[in-house]
Amino acid sequence: MSKQLAVIAASMFILVGAMGLKSAVTSKDSGAVLLANGSAPTPPTPKEWRRNGSAPTPPTPKDWRRNGSAPTPPTPKDWK
Amino acid sequence: MASEFVASAARFEMMQHYGFTSLAYAYFYYYSDAVLTILLFLALSSLYSEVFRELNAERYVQMGSVVLLAGTALFSFAVVHQSFTAAEQSSGKIFFHFVFEVSQNLYFVGLVLTYILWAAILKLRETRTRLIQLVLSLGVYFSLYAANYALRNLYPSAEVIFTVLNPLIGCFLPFAWAYAFWKLPEEARLAPAELAVSPR
Repeated sequence: MSKQLAVIAASMFILVGAMGLKSAVTSKDSGAVLLANGSAPTPPTPKEWRRNGSAPTPPTPKDWRRNGSAPTPPTPKDWK
Repeated sequence: MASEFVASAARFEMMQHYGFTSLAYAYFYYYSDAVLTILLFLALSSLYSEVFRELNAERYVQMGSVVLLAGTALFSFAVVHQSFTAAEQSSGKIFFHFVFEVSQNLYFVGLVLTYILWAAILKLRETRTRLIQLVLSLGVYFSLYAANYALRNLYPSAEVIFTVLNPLIGCFLPFAWAYAFWKLPEEARLAPAELAVSPR
């Protein structure tokens, strides 16, 4: 029983450490997305879809920018 | 590796058919990335089982993997759940953000686990060269992505450079593992102490 509890405690400790590392790495968030699989080009994230600037605005996902009675959901950048 | 190959081919097909900025490609990309991240996590768990097999600790490694995976999923759901209102939670958007968050969090869990595994290999004086090569290449792979991501956040003006680096880094793990399985025989042995920096 003690070994099982030790495994659970170690797993939680690793999870806390990983989330702390993530917080440290994403402390200066520029909206970039961390992805670790494959060499395919990363599509624009919801935040990038809503960005204005000199570059031409790509087609916006209709759902993310819908106006009406439902409030617009927050993008990953807004969560930080 | 086979899953990554299939996902890459499917992503290319989706991009060709629907376009790079299409919603279909974005959804497919992020969902497939979450699946690949979970498979990478399971591959890492199998490496742990290999290293701890002589200690008869495979059962505890498997238990730890399940607890860690479930804990990461619960944590990710809690983070996403907080960000959505009650009306928004019933929509499908929360699931997409949850999948996205799980993929990101599981990546960092894998990064920490890889470094712990390397420390365990040094401590247990593991000598199987192929296993060492697999773990080291996985550590370099995770670290390259994390460094690229961190530098991208620190220097957003140079984003073009880091965007180009991403797919190049993505090719590293398949090449490193292909080298490990092709050039290194199963019975090859290497003392990991030769790789560790020893204090003088």
